Amino acid sequence: MRDRTVLHIEDNEYNRKIVRQLLSRTSYRLLEAADGEEGLAVAQRELPDLILMDVQLPKLSGLDATRLLRADPRTAKIPLVVVTSFALSGDDRRAIDAGASAYLAKPYSPRDLMALIHRFLPEN
Amino acid sequence: MALISSPLGAPVRAVARIRASVHVKLLAGFLLITLLFIAITAVSLRAVRETARQTDLLDQAQVRVGWSRQIEHALAMQMHFTSMALLAQSEDSVGLILRENNRFNDTLARLETAAPPEERALIQAIRVAQDDAMATVADIANAVRDRRMADAMTALRTRQEPIYQKIETLVGSLVAAEDTRMASLRRSIAAAQARSLRQMAGFAVAAVAVALIAGFVISWSFILPVREFHGFLSQVAEGRFGGSVAVPNRDEFGALAERMNWMSGELRRLDDEQRVAAATLRGLNDRLELASRAKSEFLANMSHELRTPLNAILGFTEIMLDELYGEVPPNLREPLVDIQTNGRHLLRLINDVLDLSKIEAGRLELGVDEYSVQEIVDVVHASLRSLAIEKGLAFSVWVAPDIPPARGDGRRITQCLMNLAGNALKFTRHGRVEIDVRLDEGWLTYRVSDTGIGIPKEEVENIFAEFRQVDTTITREYGGTGLGLSITKRLVEMHGGRIGVESELGRGSRFFFTVPLHADGGPA
Repeated sequence: MRDRTVLHIEDNEYNRKIVRQLLSRTSYRLLEAADGEEGLAVAQRELPDLILMDVQLPKLSGLDATRLLRADPRTAKIPLVVVTSFALSGDDRRAIDAGASAYLAKPYSPRDLMALIHRFLPEN
Repeated sequence: MALISSPLGAPVRAVARIRASVHVKLLAGFLLITLLFIAITAVSLRAVRETARQTDLLDQAQVRVGWSRQIEHALAMQMHFTSMALLAQSEDSVGLILRENNRFNDTLARLETAAPPEERALIQAIRVAQDDAMATVADIANAVRDRRMADAMTALRTRQEPIYQKIETLVGSLVAAEDTRMASLRRSIAAAQARSLRQMAGFAVAAVAVALIAGFVISWSFILPVREFHGFLSQVAEGRFGGSVAVPNRDEFGALAERMNWMSGELRRLDDEQRVAAATLRGLNDRLELASRAKSEFLANMSHELRTPLNAILGFTEIMLDELYGEVPPNLREPLVDIQTNGRHLLRLINDVLDLSKIEAGRLELGVDEYSVQEIVDVVHASLRSLAIEKGLAFSVWVAPDIPPARGDGRRITQCLMNLAGNALKFTRHGRVEIDVRLDEGWLTYRVSDTGIGIPKEEVENIFAEFRQVDTTITREYGGTGLGLSITKRLVEMHGGRIGVESELGRGSRFFFTVPLHADGGPA
């Protein structure tokens, strides 16, 4: 059984670095994308086991990318966590409406993110 | 108006134009009518007097006719007594003849005095004839005394009888003249009566007509302006300002029209000003709306832009403290925790500022749904329990057992209770913090009591204002953004509720907010 793959779509290099660091000591395989279009392409090509999707992304917004992934039968079932800007602004509801499995408000605690990843994708 | 173009329009306008008060005009109208009645009375009186005079003349003529009859009678008696004297061949009858003669003369004298001039000649002729008759009587008497009976008979037959016949004829014509006069007088009276009747009728009709016209003209000179005012005021009532009312009146109605026109002008001016002001306000409002939207967008963007690096700062700090980069040297742990503490504070500030600006822009909408009061209290308790333990404070919650599911924005209510309980724990060094919730007649009261530092009386009313903490040093000592209470107050008010505090300096505070069990929300 190959390692579980996590796709992290996030335009901020430092935030990608944190997740990279978090997963460096685990068995998860990490894929990264820096904008919505790239994220969509990687997801459809690699079919990861879990997608972490930022809301505000260049080229294609996280919510639009989520809708497109949900419309694609190959990626429709992949667990997808949307990282919202601000839970109270209504992003959370929009994320769920767009088809997200869960949402996480930014700034998030890396511990909470790890817990969420483990929930959707138990380590081998 | 139709009346104005009718023939009566001109006098109505003329009366209206008279520069006199309504009172004077009405008085003049009544006076005119009174004068007409006085005139009618005068005309009637004159007619009555004329008739009376004519009747008087008729009476006089009748008296005169009576006298003429007496004369005739006296004459007949004279003839009778003369004949008697002859028959009796005595002078005794002469005295009786003289008596009748005297009666005749007296009556004739009275008749002469009363008679109109044209009858004087006739009377004179009668008198001359009577004198002749008396002379003959004297001759006859002498003849009788001298026993010359034949002479006496001759005198009687040839002289006396023709004279008497003459007198009779004269008196007859006098009576006839008087009769003619009486007939003419009667006709004249009848004519006069008919004339005065016609005059009075004509005058009465004319007076009534004049009174009616005067009344009509005067009253219409008042009614017309009132109608004009009515139309004009209807216009004003419909919101059409700036029109004017034109009346010919120079009385109180004229003055009223002037005031109305002035008022209309003022209304128009105020209306124009108000329109300009409203347009200006609309323009300003549109610009403010745009500015507000721009502000909201800016804040949303800024919020995201600030959160992204903050996420990195807090994230790196946490994974460093979790030693994902390896063991943290003891001397670096404290500054790392300081970075974490300040980063979290910065995050709270960003969240609160964004919340408040959204509330102020009216862009914060409540997500009204069913929520459980017990769950909210449990969440708040669970979130803050570690802080209470850390500070060594007793932290207890109590929820009335009979509370059914409530309606409102559960997450916002949680935020409110979290703010109050967080403050209570922050400002309490020793003792306890208690949360309790009760339901009373459809209103939920959330209460947070503490044994903290309390709030000075003069600060209690300001406590819910933005950035109001009792002392700026408090911010440094206790942390917090100074926006929590203000946001809580707005959120409670958006639920249709109210917030309050009872506090005693040094002994503790009791904050509470009350919201309907079933809040429909909507912007406050």
